[in-house]
Amino acid sequence: MQFQTFDESYVERLRSGDFRTQEHFVSYFSELIQLKLRSRLRSPQAMEDVRQETFARVFVALRKEGSLRNPERLGSFVNSICNNVLLESYRSSSRSSSLEEEEEKDLPAAAVDVLGAVMAKEREEKVREILEELPERDRRLLREVFLEEREKDDVCRDFGVDREYLRVLVYRAKQSFKTLYLRSIATGSTGVPTVEKL
Amino acid sequence: MDHSEAVQQKATEKYLLNELDPTLRDQFEEHLFDCVECALDVRAAALFVEHTKGVLAESHAPSPAPAAVPATAKPGMLAWLRPAFALPLLATLLAVISYQNLVTYPLLKQAAATPQIAPWASIHVSTRGASTIQVSPHAGQGFHLLVNIPPENSFASYTLSLSSPSGKVQWTRTTEAIATDDTRSIFVPSAGLEQGTYTLSVRGTAAAGETTDLGRYSIEVQVQN
Repeated sequence: MQFQTFDESYVERLRSGDFRTQEHFVSYFSELIQLKLRSRLRSPQAMEDVRQETFARVFVALRKEGSLRNPERLGSFVNSICNNVLLESYRSSSRSSSLEEEEEKDLPAAAVDVLGAVMAKEREEKVREILEELPERDRRLLREVFLEEREKDDVCRDFGVDREYLRVLVYRAKQSFKTLYLRSIATGSTGVPTVEKL
Repeated sequence: MDHSEAVQQKATEKYLLNELDPTLRDQFEEHLFDCVECALDVRAAALFVEHTKGVLAESHAPSPAPAAVPATAKPGMLAWLRPAFALPLLATLLAVISYQNLVTYPLLKQAAATPQIAPWASIHVSTRGASTIQVSPHAGQGFHLLVNIPPENSFASYTLSLSSPSGKVQWTRTTEAIATDDTRSIFVPSAGLEQGTYTLSVRGTAAAGETTDLGRYSIEVQVQN
């Protein structure tokens, strides 16, 4: 995923339907939208519905003259539309179903190139390495928080640490991981279609 | 929120740990969607967390028992069919099946048909946690947990989780919200029951999928011998 500064020419290409730009746009914002929605919606289907509706409305809005006065704020524009779709999603009455009855549907994975798969394996190894360097207690702390999804206050109390300790732990681990992640971004091998030149 | 504030406040970590209040979260997202640097930071952190779950889940799973290495020369694939092996094996299987049918199943059926008297404890779910309740089952005996949830909020379902004194989640159950019935009876079996303070957490889930914590309730279990 190549990171871009969104400007007038980018928005113009998006507006005109340039395939590569659209692909990049959807890839870039899909992940941010999913991160945003995961703390608000439990159902993968609901998240996918909101994501798709957001993009549909963004494309419709962009075709209207004057809808986006400041191209550099394209991200905020997407975020605002996503907020509106989310509000409507909350208001509309959906069929209720028990969490146990609702089947978890895996979202279809994007096609992953071979190099992307190798990079994914490298990232996993890097994470393993980072975790192995941590004291056993910190590994257990991360397991309780992220894998067993226990209440963080309870976990911190059980381990005799405060929330800041947990934040710093995650921050340091992320910083160690980020070096490799940045490299995979640079080679364009994250399994997401890249745009060589925009 | 501008970029320096986001960095100073460790907004990325707080965002991923769901520690930002709704206002700050919205402000951070407003910034995140426009800031390439923060977007990269959040994505790296999210990817790290995702891989961490995978790695920790692998290391937590028990490794398969190593295959036994035969001490003598390989007897061949069908060697177990030889009478020397097959007859004792069949006799053992027959004994196990007979015991199950003649002893175990009748006892289980009898137990299922016999009224059980067990201690009970009740919890009234309110917006604030109540004091610790106590229950004293005998060893090998479970207890009933009556959970009263006032149908004040428009939840579609409730999720109840029981954690052991060591913090491990024993079970999680989801029940549909029924306007006319606000009490749930849960039988907590004796298997694995230990002395100490258990915690019952209750969450409500709205039709749109939002969850709300309705409280955590301490249950002090005193196993009597």
